[in-house]
Amino acid sequence: MSDFDGGRGRSGGRDKDKDKGKDEKGGRRTFFRRRRVCKFCVEKIDYISYKDVKLLAPFIPERGKIQPRRISGVCALHQRALQNAIKRARQIALVPYTTD
Amino acid sequence: MSTTRQYELIYLTQPDASEEALGELHKQVLAVVDRFSGTIERTENWGRRKLAYEIGHQREATYVLEVINGPGAMTAELDRRLRVFDSVIRHLIVRVDEDLASADRSKTKRKENMAKRRVRRGLPPEPTDAELHRRREESDDFDGIGDGPYRGGGGER
Repeated sequence: MSDFDGGRGRSGGRDKDKDKGKDEKGGRRTFFRRRRVCKFCVEKIDYISYKDVKLLAPFIPERGKIQPRRISGVCALHQRALQNAIKRARQIALVPYTTD
Repeated sequence: MSTTRQYELIYLTQPDASEEALGELHKQVLAVVDRFSGTIERTENWGRRKLAYEIGHQREATYVLEVINGPGAMTAELDRRLRVFDSVIRHLIVRVDEDLASADRSKTKRKENMAKRRVRRGLPPEPTDAELHRRREESDDFDGIGDGPYRGGGGER
């Protein structure tokens, strides 16, 4: 599982057709339709700013937790930067710690 | 001799803070920055924004961003000063020069690599306008930076 994630994070998964093919051949994970691409790699965003709430918002589900990258498909490098940005944004109340 | 670094200072003030009060705060910040012979590169007033959570029974606050060049000792002093003001309900100082520089580096590197690849394929180093246009037409799921297909990515699990 972790091997799989590592391989797909940054370089792999650029092409959604390719992804689909792999899923069908493997015969598992077919229920999991999410395209596994890193948004920041695809859109070539180098600096993840904590001020940009619009950029961070998709990675903060309703509960307010940071979305794990196994779900969002973000690569390790960018997940780390994203995590920093979200934590900073939380400090100045741009983004919630929790919601209930 | 201290090295100059770039910092971003964001502070949140009471939502009912007047223009003069904000001006006074700015002056205070400027005074500290001056003392450490730093400079304020720009100041942005974001105006009143809703807070993501309540701070001291406030639901809104006025956000002010200052981009400052100065030595590290300056941040400690700013931090100390801002903590004293009652009108400042939250503040954050972040060093940005390294992150911005590394973002810049990777950007230029990517550009160079692209130019190299293109030259190897016998193309002009920069994509022509016609090419860019065609690429936009062809891509079906991505129409520009920022407005990608990821809006509300949290929900569509």
